[in-house]
Amino acid sequence: MATISATVTIEDPIGFHARPAGQIVKLVKDSGLEIRMGRAGDSLVKANSPLSLMSLKGKTGEQLSVEVDTEDEAKAQEIIASIQHFLKG
Amino acid sequence: MLTSGAVLTGLGVGLSAISGEVFRVKPHQPLPIPAKHSGDQPGEVAKLKTAIENVSNELQHLAKKAGETSAEIFEALEMILQDESLLEAAITEIDSGWDAPTAFVNAVETFAELLSGDPTFEERLADIRDLAKRVAADIHGISLGLNLPEEGRFVIVGEDFSPADTAQFTKAVVGVITIQGGPTSHTAIICRSKSIPAVVSCSMAAELVDGVQVLVDPVGDRVVVEGKDSDATQAISFVAKSTEPIIPVRANIGSLEDAIAASTTAAEGVGLFRTELLYLQSTTRPSKEKQIASYTEILKAAPEGPIVVRTIDAGSDKPVPFLDMPKEENPALGVRGFRLVGPHRDFIVDQLESLEEARKQSGREVWVMAPMIALATEAIQFAELARKAGKFKVGIMVETPSIIYEIPNLKGVVDFISVGTNDLSQYLFASDRLHPSLGTLLNPWQPALIRALSEIAKECEAVSIYSGVCGESASDPAFAVVLAGMGFDSVSSSRSQVGAVRTALSSLDKSQAKDIYMAVLAAKTSDEAKSIALAKLSLLAG
Repeated sequence: MATISATVTIEDPIGFHARPAGQIVKLVKDSGLEIRMGRAGDSLVKANSPLSLMSLKGKTGEQLSVEVDTEDEAKAQEIIASIQHFLKG
Repeated sequence: MLTSGAVLTGLGVGLSAISGEVFRVKPHQPLPIPAKHSGDQPGEVAKLKTAIENVSNELQHLAKKAGETSAEIFEALEMILQDESLLEAAITEIDSGWDAPTAFVNAVETFAELLSGDPTFEERLADIRDLAKRVAADIHGISLGLNLPEEGRFVIVGEDFSPADTAQFTKAVVGVITIQGGPTSHTAIICRSKSIPAVVSCSMAAELVDGVQVLVDPVGDRVVVEGKDSDATQAISFVAKSTEPIIPVRANIGSLEDAIAASTTAAEGVGLFRTELLYLQSTTRPSKEKQIASYTEILKAAPEGPIVVRTIDAGSDKPVPFLDMPKEENPALGVRGFRLVGPHRDFIVDQLESLEEARKQSGREVWVMAPMIALATEAIQFAELARKAGKFKVGIMVETPSIIYEIPNLKGVVDFISVGTNDLSQYLFASDRLHPSLGTLLNPWQPALIRALSEIAKECEAVSIYSGVCGESASDPAFAVVLAGMGFDSVSSSRSQVGAVRTALSSLDKSQAKDIYMAVLAAKTSDEAKSIALAKLSLLAG
């Protein structure tokens, strides 16, 4: 299966906290896809786990890599756009 | 099994009866210590999954009940609870031998450690750890909360209730019965202030079962199984015959909120301002500026009339975080109240000087008194400090039996005394006032307490010292009449009782109050004393 990658930026003034984590998890679960997030170069965590996402302790202004396992390019882009939206706070 | 009409006696709190359905609160047990399982890994995993499901349902239920903003919190928590990575981590723990509850607690702790130190998550951490506790409790079959119903009319029955318990009382709690606990227990004090009818120290209530209809009849000091409202003992309906009570009725306060609320009652000033709140919650010694600001605000808000301020009443059971208070074997008998003047004289002087500044700024009449005085020489020491610090009327609390015998030695030393009946009972009867099974000894109608009080009033009159009573007993209208009959110059009641006590004291004249007191003095038991007073008062109310 193909993996589509992108980079998102944490714009939320209080960082990557519980609320966006919850929103992303819900999106990931609804999509039924395997999606991973993390800092470029580090090992990524599964984006269906709010605790793992929160453990990234992402700070405002930081960039995170997103990987979506799917053949559906359009759908992947839609998900990435939503994730970016959630990280705006 | 209790039959219909069965009467369970206890000590009543409040003036109105109420009926409702019994809701028994099970005592909560502590969670067991971490343990290994017996080798059934799939069994433990299944147990864990069931418990997660149960707690998840509980959270959904709470989310439904909560308002929109809180609902979001419960939804977030539920999502965390259902976190697959968390379950995987817990299963790894089970594989390494831990039983399901321990495994889940350990797994949560792993994540909690990852999240700790980040201010964004500090608040969440406690919630997340609480989830682990809930799951573990569910597996062990332990109920953590009281799980009180939100709707309906329930009379909750339990051994006794802690502050954490009473904080969970819902609007469906219309009455309270405790098997243990006395009239000065936390439950009694909370029920009195929230106007929830209660019967405490009701040992037979142990036999009450869920669903039974009961009448809580505090005036009759009893609970009646399947009792009707018409079975309730009628509180004497005092009819005020004059606009002014025979002695002033003041209010007890402990905070600015109390002072504001008390000013909406007919209270004539404040008979007891407990100053501990300002200190017990603070980890550093509040500056004089801060103390002055707090006191000024409270003095300004208090009901019209004199304000009697009690200097700090703390002990090793109620420690002040910024004072060094070593643990004691018997805190009620240790270095507490004015005894702190030994190690912390400057702190008490600070308090008195702050009060003087607040007195000036507020323009109010301030009386100051020291708690836990056992010797006349201690009263002399306090009076010197207080008179040096400001223009106060100076007094002491009478709560130790020894000071009763020294009242003649207080002549010319203090302007007034105020009896704290809760502590006086505790020391007179050698009964811990919070001990769950000593309620009978702490009943204010005990003949020995009545005689001690009468002695105090008489001795004070002989040396021209103004005397008042500020304990819980002064919140009982009938008892307040007896106190006035003894010769006390004022009483101070909890805020919710000011109106009732005032009406009772406006319904008769001083000689009638004295007659009632003389009749009560002849009683040989507390029940008899109370019955005599109520019978006489009913006749007067006619």
